[in-house]
Amino acid sequence: MNYENQRIQGVRDVLLSAERFDALQDKSEVLKAAELKALFDELKGLAPAERPSFGKQLNQLKQELTAAIESAYAARPEAAPLDVTAPFDMNVPAGKRPRLLPSEYGGKHPLMQELEQVLDIFYRMGFSATESRELDDEYHMFTSLNFPEGHPARDDYDTFMTVERDPSGKQYIAPAHTSTMQHRVLQKHREGLEAGRPIAVVIPGRVFRNEDLDARHEHTFYQLEGVYVDKGVHAGHLIATLKAFLQEYYGKELEVKTQPFYFPFTEPSFEFALSCPFCNKKGCNVCSYSGWIELLGCGMIHPNVLAMAGIDPTVYTGFAWGGGIERLVMMKYNVEDIRHFESARLEFLRQFV
Amino acid sequence: MKISINTLRFINKHYQASGELAPDGLEALAMRIGMQLGAIEEMIDVGSKYTGVLVVRIVSCEQHPNADRLHVCKIDDGGKTTNVRRDEAGHIQVVCGAPNVRADMRAVWLAPGVTVPNTYGKEPFVLEARELRGQTSNGMMASLKELGLGESHDGILEVDAEIAPGTPFAEAYNLLGDYVLDIENKMFTHRPDCFGFLGVAREIAGIQRQPYHSPAWYRVDPRFPEREADELALTVRNEIPELVPRFTAVVLSDVQVGPSPVWLQIALHKLGLRSINNVVDYTNFFMLETGQPLHAYDYDKVKAQDDHAEHATLVIRKPKSQEKILLLNGKEIEPRADAIMIATENRLIGLGGVMGGNDTEVDGQTKNVIIECATFDMYSIRRTSMTHGLFTDAVTRFNKGQSPLQNLAVLAKIVEEVRQFAGGKVASAVIDDNHLDAEILARKSLHPAIILDTAFINDRLGLHLGAEEIKVLLENVEFDVALEGTSLTITAPFWRTDIEIPEDVVEEVGRLYGYDKLPLDLPRRAIMPAGKDELLECKARLREALSRAGANEVLTYSFVHGDLLDKVGQDRKHAFRLSNALSPDLQYYRLSLLPSLLEKIHPNAKAGYGEFALFEIGKTHELIARDAHDVPLESNNVAAVYADATGDRAGAAYYDMRALLSYVMDQFGLALECRPLNHHVDAVDAPFELKRAASIGVLGSEESFGVIGEFTGNVCQDLKLPRRTAGFELKLDTLMRHRGVATQYVAQSRFPRVEQDICLRVTSEMPYQQLFNFMIQTLEDSRPKDVTITLNPVDIYQRAEDAAHKQITLRVSAISYERTLTDAEVARLLEHAASAAHVALLAGRV
Repeated sequence: MNYENQRIQGVRDVLLSAERFDALQDKSEVLKAAELKALFDELKGLAPAERPSFGKQLNQLKQELTAAIESAYAARPEAAPLDVTAPFDMNVPAGKRPRLLPSEYGGKHPLMQELEQVLDIFYRMGFSATESRELDDEYHMFTSLNFPEGHPARDDYDTFMTVERDPSGKQYIAPAHTSTMQHRVLQKHREGLEAGRPIAVVIPGRVFRNEDLDARHEHTFYQLEGVYVDKGVHAGHLIATLKAFLQEYYGKELEVKTQPFYFPFTEPSFEFALSCPFCNKKGCNVCSYSGWIELLGCGMIHPNVLAMAGIDPTVYTGFAWGGGIERLVMMKYNVEDIRHFESARLEFLRQFV
Repeated sequence: MKISINTLRFINKHYQASGELAPDGLEALAMRIGMQLGAIEEMIDVGSKYTGVLVVRIVSCEQHPNADRLHVCKIDDGGKTTNVRRDEAGHIQVVCGAPNVRADMRAVWLAPGVTVPNTYGKEPFVLEARELRGQTSNGMMASLKELGLGESHDGILEVDAEIAPGTPFAEAYNLLGDYVLDIENKMFTHRPDCFGFLGVAREIAGIQRQPYHSPAWYRVDPRFPEREADELALTVRNEIPELVPRFTAVVLSDVQVGPSPVWLQIALHKLGLRSINNVVDYTNFFMLETGQPLHAYDYDKVKAQDDHAEHATLVIRKPKSQEKILLLNGKEIEPRADAIMIATENRLIGLGGVMGGNDTEVDGQTKNVIIECATFDMYSIRRTSMTHGLFTDAVTRFNKGQSPLQNLAVLAKIVEEVRQFAGGKVASAVIDDNHLDAEILARKSLHPAIILDTAFINDRLGLHLGAEEIKVLLENVEFDVALEGTSLTITAPFWRTDIEIPEDVVEEVGRLYGYDKLPLDLPRRAIMPAGKDELLECKARLREALSRAGANEVLTYSFVHGDLLDKVGQDRKHAFRLSNALSPDLQYYRLSLLPSLLEKIHPNAKAGYGEFALFEIGKTHELIARDAHDVPLESNNVAAVYADATGDRAGAAYYDMRALLSYVMDQFGLALECRPLNHHVDAVDAPFELKRAASIGVLGSEESFGVIGEFTGNVCQDLKLPRRTAGFELKLDTLMRHRGVATQYVAQSRFPRVEQDICLRVTSEMPYQQLFNFMIQTLEDSRPKDVTITLNPVDIYQRAEDAAHKQITLRVSAISYERTLTDAEVARLLEHAASAAHVALLAGRV
């Protein structure tokens, strides 16, 4: 398109030139060009007589640029068929053929790196692992975990539910904790338990809470659940096991303490805290200058939970715990905002090697 | 749950319930509470800010000579203050502007040098002696507001006349060294009794191994005074006993409604409650003390709701359709259909257990009151509270399920208090609409006694406690314990709702004994190896392979916007949908992983990343798939995208993606075979352009693992993808079923390798794979036994003038394990293969 006004014509030629326009990652950036803004500024200062013509041409330029943006996204080679069986495209010189990206670009997600480390410690402690579900039913999420009918956790203020319902008419649930797998794990290993092999399983998985996003709260996050059942298991075993894990994880001696808590699926229930491994209890940012970090929920598995999985709670006892993975990573690297984890931003991810 | 240390101390002493609250000091007590009762969220010093604040007597109060609204007062501070100017009589001059100031009143004085308490910890305002219109004012007289004890600024605070001038204010009102502790509510989810001072004080005694004795009035069967005034009849009709198992009420007449005594205003304010009037304040205070919410109605207003009624009626029912109520907070609501309502014959007057109604409020004109003490279904209360966004102190307590066995005790206590301090007279029979089992009432405990052996407790705690020791621990918190050898018969006190099974007793004993004293032994088990999980192992391996190949692992939400499904050509009707999604962005369970990855390309490209690959390992869900147990099937997938906007690369992006996938499949011991894709079959392949996509297969199997390729024009445009973008997605269960041995070792030969190229011209339509497979097969068939042959592509080329044909150059590499091969030998093998290809595929050697 040609413009009567030379300045407008000049800006048009610059903005749509190969060096400028083709080089833009995001073509819509062209509308934010300084040259264009200068023209609009100029318009404001013009004498009333000159304005209509200048303004009209400027609008035309804007339309032309908008059209160029649209056609840039739409301008793709007509979908020509490819020989999908070939290793590379026709007529591509050897130097430009596919090769793997440099290894140093690549990386595992920081949460998954951490989870693998955590799992590795539990493997060495003799635990096996199984992954949690991301869509489950009311029975596994609540009933089998001794949540009474009508319990607040069962309503949808805290938990995501689907429109679709299970055969008993209950809505399916986006699990709010990895405990949703406890019943299955207990059932699966019941025979082994009766044959003398303790149940020792950890359950990593993605869980969901109906919670608004902010720097400290995510509706989607990762948890690791652990279950241990045998004859003669007591609350001291629980505390000692978690302490052993944490000392291995942080590579140092720690103090631990429990605070009474309430969960329907454990009795007694605890909140588990460790002496801050970052400042050795002196007080720092991470522990909010308290010297302690509350990290896990845990307790002795409620007899009703064992009984529902067919395990006799008068013969066997066990413990279970659960904790978040994000917290570990955030404390370790001082990550300031939990929303980074699911942002898929390379700028964030490539920092974790 | 907030408690004031001094209020607890006062209660223990007043009721002779227990010894010193914190015999080892406050810090030790706080530690112990944290370990054995619940985490302390905050510990607020409420005593220190009253340093130097004194109660004084106003000796004289004269009009200020130069100001209408000011008075010049002389005060008596008992001579306690130094460095202040006194007149001959030893009195101190203070100028005061409060309307209620008068001679002979007891008030609170802030001396020069004292920090105004409500500025304590903020921007401290320190008083001094200064001139007010020519008259010296030494400091000031204080209102509740300046004392940080209320909002009232209408006048200075008048305190009780018995207090001697010069008494520190903090001492007079039990604020000396006082702290408010905020204990995390979650700890008490199953402990409604701990939402009252008595409950917390009892636990504090218990964890310090001190016995606790609840006050005599706190009992299942209290005595009420006989009616002592003309009858004001009250009828109660409970139409929903399943939601309201007990409703007790009584009418008091000739109540003197007025401001509360100062101590009560202070006690409430410390814990965040506003003072309303004496009647309401007493009901609130006893709620704080016992955990049992109460409600007071104006009897005459209740009666007036029903035309020509001769007495007041309370009906407990659910709301009728479209019925509305104006609540005490001034908001009118239409209650949810299953809410517990308090009504008269004609109209709703209260949202039971949540908030009272505006129309029957107790106010300054009230003479006769109905006091209600009831038990409401905890889940119903919670739902009503959540539905209407009403979070009151009553809700906090009712939604933990208060014991219905304490209703009468608390009602009797409030009757006693109102009679004594607000002059009320009992004017009706005590109504006890009671739907509890006779057994419970007879037992005076909500659950049957628990019989267990000491071994049961010790086995679960790893301890060796004797029966007597356990008995004492439990009796300290008022359990009834009968011993017979090592067998214990344990009956919980009437206020405990949480002691149902033997494990509950274990919890109680462990906590009272101290979990910090448990033996820290690791479990013992056989050294048999723990089993591996195939899925987790597969994921770890994929993660390793993809990241080594330069791809970045991302995690994206499991929920997507319906629009995204539309954009990539997937059908919303096949996706599970959340009924309570936070936003439309997170409404549907995803049908495949790729759309989420495609969404993340543009932001990264825009951030300046020219060439990159992203991958995600995750789960997908489709509405039609269910497993044997009727839970939705979960598919574990891996998806990756490759994007390039650098301009440095050439050819279709498909091949870059294919190179990455081929590397990954190699790591699983699988040889990738891409097969043309003719039509869409499922949600995974929806975003792909079929002409530029392939089904992912492996050598030796017909099965499809997934799809690889470039995307349709619409997808590219809608998601602003760079021109060179491709992706793949495959199912892990197929991968796990086929995985082989990754490393295929070939023995080394002592003899040199011979390499020769062969270039063949075929039609453009002929798939590369077809020619390649033919050539390798022919070479294999014709090679001598001692020779090993490998074949690799060198070039694929199309002349600009001949679009009908392409030339494929392959490199043959041959080696023998027994001898040195000659070039001529290899050339003959190639010659043979070329002529076979000419016959079978019309390929011409170039």
